[in-house]
Amino acid sequence: MQDERLGIDDLRPRGLEKRTLMDLFMPRRRPFILFDPDRCTGCGTCEILCSTRNTGKIAPASASLRIVRDDARGRNLAVYCQHCRKPLCVEACPTRAMTRGEDGIVRIEKLFCTSCGLCTAACPEAAPLRDGRTAEIRKCDLCEGDPLCVKHCPNGALSYTKGKAFRWIKGVRWTVQLISFLLLVMVFLGTFCYFNAGSFGLSCPTGTLQNIFATGRIVLAGLASFLAIFLLTVLLGRFFCGWLCPFGFVLDLVDRIIPKKFGLPKFLKTRMAKYGILGGAAAGSAAFGFQVFCTVCPIGTLCRSYGQQGMFRGAEMAIVPLLAGLELTERRSWCRYFCPVGALLALFAKLHLLKIVIGAKKCKKFSCIQCAEVCPMGIIDGDKLREGLSPEIPMTECIGCLRCLDRCPYGAAKIRFRWQKGVPGEVTGAEVNR
Amino acid sequence: MAGRDERIRRIEKESGIDRCVECGRCTAVCPMVEMYVNFSIAMSPRGIIKKALTGEAVAADRNLWYCTECNAGTDACPQGVSCRDLVRGLRRLVLDAGKPEEMNVCPGCGGPFLAVPVEDFVLGRLKDEPPNVKNWLKLCPACRREGYLRRNA
Repeated sequence: MQDERLGIDDLRPRGLEKRTLMDLFMPRRRPFILFDPDRCTGCGTCEILCSTRNTGKIAPASASLRIVRDDARGRNLAVYCQHCRKPLCVEACPTRAMTRGEDGIVRIEKLFCTSCGLCTAACPEAAPLRDGRTAEIRKCDLCEGDPLCVKHCPNGALSYTKGKAFRWIKGVRWTVQLISFLLLVMVFLGTFCYFNAGSFGLSCPTGTLQNIFATGRIVLAGLASFLAIFLLTVLLGRFFCGWLCPFGFVLDLVDRIIPKKFGLPKFLKTRMAKYGILGGAAAGSAAFGFQVFCTVCPIGTLCRSYGQQGMFRGAEMAIVPLLAGLELTERRSWCRYFCPVGALLALFAKLHLLKIVIGAKKCKKFSCIQCAEVCPMGIIDGDKLREGLSPEIPMTECIGCLRCLDRCPYGAAKIRFRWQKGVPGEVTGAEVNR
Repeated sequence: MAGRDERIRRIEKESGIDRCVECGRCTAVCPMVEMYVNFSIAMSPRGIIKKALTGEAVAADRNLWYCTECNAGTDACPQGVSCRDLVRGLRRLVLDAGKPEEMNVCPGCGGPFLAVPVEDFVLGRLKDEPPNVKNWLKLCPACRREGYLRRNA
């Protein structure tokens, strides 16, 4: 029945968000107002100014922004439109009067609005959309890029942002990844597996492990680099996976290009699988007397692909596109579930010194949750953040790419030492039930 | 109850439904057409007004609870009839007598929040959202703000 008749979607189709090539590398930023509860005194200047712009009268009830005051604790919170990335009001509006513009500002088109107020029902931020005096629906349009409330806040509690102007971590990471890819694959021929630069030698820990099992002998040089990587991983976490791994770099590139189409079958989606593969590789090496996994290791094949031996060594090179194809399911699925090199590093990372904390107090739960989306390992629990709790981030799975830190516009994601407690903004289970 | 009939009459008078000329403009602009698959004349503002005019028991009608209390019908009416005021008044009358099953209450404060069909529509539109977002949206805006204040400030 619904399908037969014309609906509002036929008359007024929702514009699809256009993605340009530029967006791949410089994602469009969302303009919004930031609020710092520590600075707010609850004076209400913002409400007054907003109402003068809205109606030409001083009437805080008509403002598109409201200060909620908790007198017992002496805390205030400004409630206003966050211009969500995926605005629920736009979804809920029965007449499609709400639109999200090219510039990211969510606006109401007066012509179509019937003031039904379903947007207020659908707004998770509870932004004051309905005028308290005239019952009209009106919303914050950020004063078209120059918000009055921000300009006149006497304590600087409000600030206007178009997102971080320059994501430096991102730039640094891509550069490091590119350099390490060039170095490991092209300059030091045949190499992350083992390379010697002068007196400095380093070899792949998983390779070393298999070697030990295969030959039954412990080579001192191998053990030394094993120890070096162990110490570095304890210090910095699985930074190798996020910053240096040449195959990880390929995966990150592939991820930018191909869309996520399929889901992995449930039985494959276990993070323990990689430990199994690691164990299997060690056992296989002991049984056959050579490094079993190394023959199919995507990092190894990639490293060995360039040089005199030739770019394409037949069947071996097929591993790379095959495993990169896993990106069609989830980001870095190889790293998440299967990579035994990562598994060994994860075992080292159990002794991590650093941790990443996401402060639920600073997080704007519903309008953003970008951290969970950008995390290539999928270890940030967005649902937990929405419930107002800081998610626990398993450092054995974290590859230290710092995308969460880079993206969070509220500064909620932080690096802390493992033993640090009571990180500002962190909310654990016990606190929220108070 | 005499008081109840009197109140109904007052509501009808205040919303000016005796001036209605049955042009149907209110129904033409009503967003309910978009919202409900089972939209019918009985549910439309014109149907409700007609029922009120002919003296049927409109307050007990289930169709009363589909309205979003928007202002479109009132804006469009050439006679200045406010169908919103009529519906709002009648709903308040029913709510005063006790909570009807067509009205959702906010799990936070217990006050009436949205009519069941309206909330069904909103949650239907947002069906792809995670369950904790939907649960959050069952709270009334005032309770959401309180919750935010507790969690974020």
